[in-house]
Amino acid sequence: MIASLGPDLPQDLLAATGVHAGLLPWDIDRETPAADRWLESKFPRWTYSVLQDWLDGRLDHLDAVVFSRADDGAQRLYYYISELRRLGEVGGPEPLIFDVAKIGRASSAQHMVASVRKLAERLGVGEIALERGIAETNVRRANATAAADAQPGRVCLIAGTPPPDRRLHGMVERAGWIAAGETLGDAWADPGPPVEEGTGDPFAALARQLHARRADVRAFFDRAQALEAQADECGALAAVLWFAEEDDARVWHLPAQRDVLARIDIPALILTRRDWRANDGVDAEIAAFLQGGAA
Amino acid sequence: MSEATGQRSRKDLACTAAANAYQKQFGIDLKRRVVDEGEPFAIVQADTPHEIFHVMDIPIITNQWWSAYISAKQLSNQYFEVMARHGFPENSCKYCSLGLACTLANDPKSAPWGGLPKPTVLVARMTCDCIQHVFGQWAEALGSEFFPMEAPAWEHKDPRWFAHSRNDWQEIYDADRIALMVSEMRDLIALLENRTGRKFDEARLHHLMERINEQEGYIWEAAQAIGRARPCPVSIAEQMPNTMIPQWHRGSDWAVDHARRFRDEVMERIASGAGTAAHEKIRLMWIGAGVWHDPGFYQALEERLGAVFVWSMYMPFAGPQYIRELHGRPMDALASRICSMNEVLHLPPWMNGWMTSEAERCGIDACVVLLPPDNRLSQSGTKITAQSLEAAGVPVLSIDADMVDAKNWNHDRMVTLVADFLVARGLA
Repeated sequence: MIASLGPDLPQDLLAATGVHAGLLPWDIDRETPAADRWLESKFPRWTYSVLQDWLDGRLDHLDAVVFSRADDGAQRLYYYISELRRLGEVGGPEPLIFDVAKIGRASSAQHMVASVRKLAERLGVGEIALERGIAETNVRRANATAAADAQPGRVCLIAGTPPPDRRLHGMVERAGWIAAGETLGDAWADPGPPVEEGTGDPFAALARQLHARRADVRAFFDRAQALEAQADECGALAAVLWFAEEDDARVWHLPAQRDVLARIDIPALILTRRDWRANDGVDAEIAAFLQGGAA
Repeated sequence: MSEATGQRSRKDLACTAAANAYQKQFGIDLKRRVVDEGEPFAIVQADTPHEIFHVMDIPIITNQWWSAYISAKQLSNQYFEVMARHGFPENSCKYCSLGLACTLANDPKSAPWGGLPKPTVLVARMTCDCIQHVFGQWAEALGSEFFPMEAPAWEHKDPRWFAHSRNDWQEIYDADRIALMVSEMRDLIALLENRTGRKFDEARLHHLMERINEQEGYIWEAAQAIGRARPCPVSIAEQMPNTMIPQWHRGSDWAVDHARRFRDEVMERIASGAGTAAHEKIRLMWIGAGVWHDPGFYQALEERLGAVFVWSMYMPFAGPQYIRELHGRPMDALASRICSMNEVLHLPPWMNGWMTSEAERCGIDACVVLLPPDNRLSQSGTKITAQSLEAAGVPVLSIDADMVDAKNWNHDRMVTLVADFLVARGLA
């Protein structure tokens, strides 16, 4: 079995292996004494949980884990685990990295094709299997879109750093609102828009989809505009912009996102430098916001 | 925010003053060219192919140099407050964003040079999640264009890369990664030719690369000699400017001559038995960027404890990461220099592999690691490297501080911290 970790991974290719167990899970509340030895403070909390699992042997049932280069936590963890394996500090599955190139130039687009081919070769996925994987994943995409029913009620969009699980969503719901917005796991498991089928070169087709995706911190797009579109799509009447302490990428768009929400009259609770565990009084702040000013 | 409590460093070499004077004059000339005369110029990260700009005679302002310049003028705190007023959290990466802060402040009266004019382009490798966002916003604020460069994954993980990189760079750095960077450099050249009317000449690059090899050869020769010499003839407080200032101008006649002069002065001090400390007892390694707001920190324990900072990354880096056998392919050789410049300093196995080897080469007794609390890139790899050094018998002290933000830095407190560590580990 293989697992994966990070954004912009080739879900169609992973599905085509027939042995993809999905994203590695994390528990950000757990103690991580062994991982603390190796990871510096700017690593996001979920990396500690993953490394602790690795060090504890909880991932020994896996043959390999595919990391993404499109997230700093994921890509650095790949190098750290590779080195810890070399040093004999840890065993477990083989770490692999999927190289993601997002710059809007031909050289990056071509590099992405090469990356897909390289990983496919490493995982033993040929052209026919990948074409089948694309078709199956496209069905999954279509089913997911059809199943997304809107619920009645006031919607609060949670944006900023995708939270590690649904605990922020629960806080919104306990305040009597409907919570919208992806968790980190949702975002990384999302296979994105459909991949073109029957092109004769499924590797290139998948690479084109990945190169164009706007799903991670490495993509180039206007994040204020994207937030406005997201708020519009889910019918948000309020927003919580939550940024984890270790997020040093998405925060650069906070002023523009704050301004766009003000312009479209969506009240926003802005929470920066927050603990991944949401144990810093955020529940009371969300309740006060949604039951007070935003209500 | 507290004021900087830094102290000036002592200078033992005549060439140090010459380097500083040259850089000061260079700053004046650069300002004249880009501000007064409106010449096209670029803002670039340190780990980008400066050689392309040198060949095309396009002035560059390096983000890290500009940050250090702002910091040296004690404007950092003022600009951090500007960032907070714009709504950016206080923990945003300071080393990367000080230049952006200066631009956003839009205060010609206080800004160095009255602030930077619009550059032709801004160039950065995306070695960290934050960089494309900082440079994208900076380009927008300046009304310019951002030319990002990929920092692709590196699967050929050789912990002894430094032993082969001069010759076998195609294998060490991965042919695919080199090819990607060459392709990006050709796109950058096309953009620069289009915007500035200046032409790139590959024969000139070949000549420049040979001159850089000569320059870095002198630095590497001096670094080898310093590693062997007892006592250490030159503190890192002087190694840094005599390596870095010529490196900003790499391949120029002045840079090559200065590197030779530095090498010669180092050799003279070794021959005469001169040491940076009167009675050297402890040889220290410094891991991290220089503490630009307190250069005197590095020499503070020399007389009291005989503790000398012998090693920082800048000088010995010249050998394995700059010198390249060209093999008739200067663009590829240049790409191999740049495409992993950051990675080898901040990721295992390259960082710990090299630094552990360097500690052994230089007879290091203990190591001090800078751990900037808000800078992922500068933190990266430090714990594994610290563990590798400890496993090799080198005690390590990690200090939480920032290279451009003096807020959490107090000279006396930091010196005491190092002194106490050396006592606690039985070295002093």
